[in-house]
Amino acid sequence: MSFFRDTLHLWILATIVVVGGVVGFFARQQFIPETYGDKKGRYVVYRAAALDEIKAQPSIWIEDQQCLNCHTDVHDEREGTLHETVACYHCHGRGKKHIEEALLAQKDDSIEITPAEEWDGDFLTKVDFFNANNRKACLVCHESVIGMPKDFKQIVVEKHLKEQEAYEVDSPEVCFECHGYHDTAP
Amino acid sequence: MLDILNILSDQGGCQSGGCSSGGCGSSDALWSEGSSACGCSGGGPADLVAEDGAQLRRDFLKNASSIVLGSVTLTLLPGSLGAADKAAGATAASGDSEPLYGFLVDTDKCIGAGKCLTACREENNVPEGQARTWVERYIHFKDGNIQVDLVPEVGYTGEEPEIDPETVDKAYFVPKLCNHCADAPCNQVCPTHASITAPGGVELVDPDLCIGCAYCVQACPYGVRFINHETGNADKCTWCYHRITQDQTPACVEACPTGARLFGRLDDPNSEISQKIRSLPNSVLKEHLGTHPKLHYIGLNGEVV
Repeated sequence: MSFFRDTLHLWILATIVVVGGVVGFFARQQFIPETYGDKKGRYVVYRAAALDEIKAQPSIWIEDQQCLNCHTDVHDEREGTLHETVACYHCHGRGKKHIEEALLAQKDDSIEITPAEEWDGDFLTKVDFFNANNRKACLVCHESVIGMPKDFKQIVVEKHLKEQEAYEVDSPEVCFECHGYHDTAP
Repeated sequence: MLDILNILSDQGGCQSGGCSSGGCGSSDALWSEGSSACGCSGGGPADLVAEDGAQLRRDFLKNASSIVLGSVTLTLLPGSLGAADKAAGATAASGDSEPLYGFLVDTDKCIGAGKCLTACREENNVPEGQARTWVERYIHFKDGNIQVDLVPEVGYTGEEPEIDPETVDKAYFVPKLCNHCADAPCNQVCPTHASITAPGGVELVDPDLCIGCAYCVQACPYGVRFINHETGNADKCTWCYHRITQDQTPACVEACPTGARLFGRLDDPNSEISQKIRSLPNSVLKEHLGTHPKLHYIGLNGEVV
């Protein structure tokens, strides 16, 4: 009739707690990913390394500034016009090769940038722009579509050309004859 | 802790005498509050031995439970202390400098050119047939019908079915992308903590932890999530997290020819987006759901969901 009569139960309990704790400790180490919960704050727990992985994704989109670093005259021409928010690539294409070459040429004087006329494919040069892409470059935005804001300059091509009495209706340069280039007039 | 156990055992046991040999330990007390299952035998001399045994059992259970509860608490303690420390540290470290990003779409400016769609696809390598952002066109006809269609990625090329402008009351474009809700439902259902809120309030998917169960796809009230066919993971608009953390704007904002998309910091009262949200009438999608989106719209019609 002593108090310690049932100590076997205590030992069983203690063993379960200790073994469970040890197993749990190692299982936790095994299953929780590295850097998990490193950064805690007012947001939920997460794997801190995930942010660095997502941040490491290369940015391939080219900003206008990259073009304007060299083509400074374009910036002045375009400033204040309605086309100020239009990016270079919208009409000229992405020109990734051209920019890569230009960036290399900045560091190394011996590298020459291929003249625009000799580019093919990737970079829509001024020549390509007229011959291959022609007025579609304008019409992708300015051809009238149901849903466009009323104050946006939009045309129905045949109607517009007829109204303006254009001579060469099929000419790829037909838009630029009246509207100019970078300093587009309305 | 012992007090609690005492109260529990007192509730079940009889106050005047001991319990019958049937036993009425503290564990039973929880289930027999009305004492109907644990009757008292009146406290005669024959019960003394039984009472001794019951008392012993009760003491044993008391002590044993204290030890178990105590050890469990001790086991948990280091973890909980650590978490609290870290939380305090992070809050102190971040201070006021942590940005809070926001997005503003001006539906009055969108012309449906589709430049943002290509920009997003190329920047984030989104497979064909899936999209992180898209542009809807709402057409209200004069007969009361509303038609919603998607802007093709190359913009309207003139090959679409003709709609007679005479039958149309009004029409407008609505660019859609992730709302990056402050109380994101997608975040709450993720079973692996792969859906996370990154500093800046941006909702992201951890590609390593995501198991592609698509719970978040179903939870999102705005339908911006999808299972990427190529990676098998949940995919969504990240507001180009890799760009905005380097002080660039998202690719779609960069690509918009009319400036219909505006990205900026909501925590800075002088930023363009903060000023516009303050000064112009704007709304968010499905406000009644209480998700508190950080994507705001100017000129949004009531029919848009």
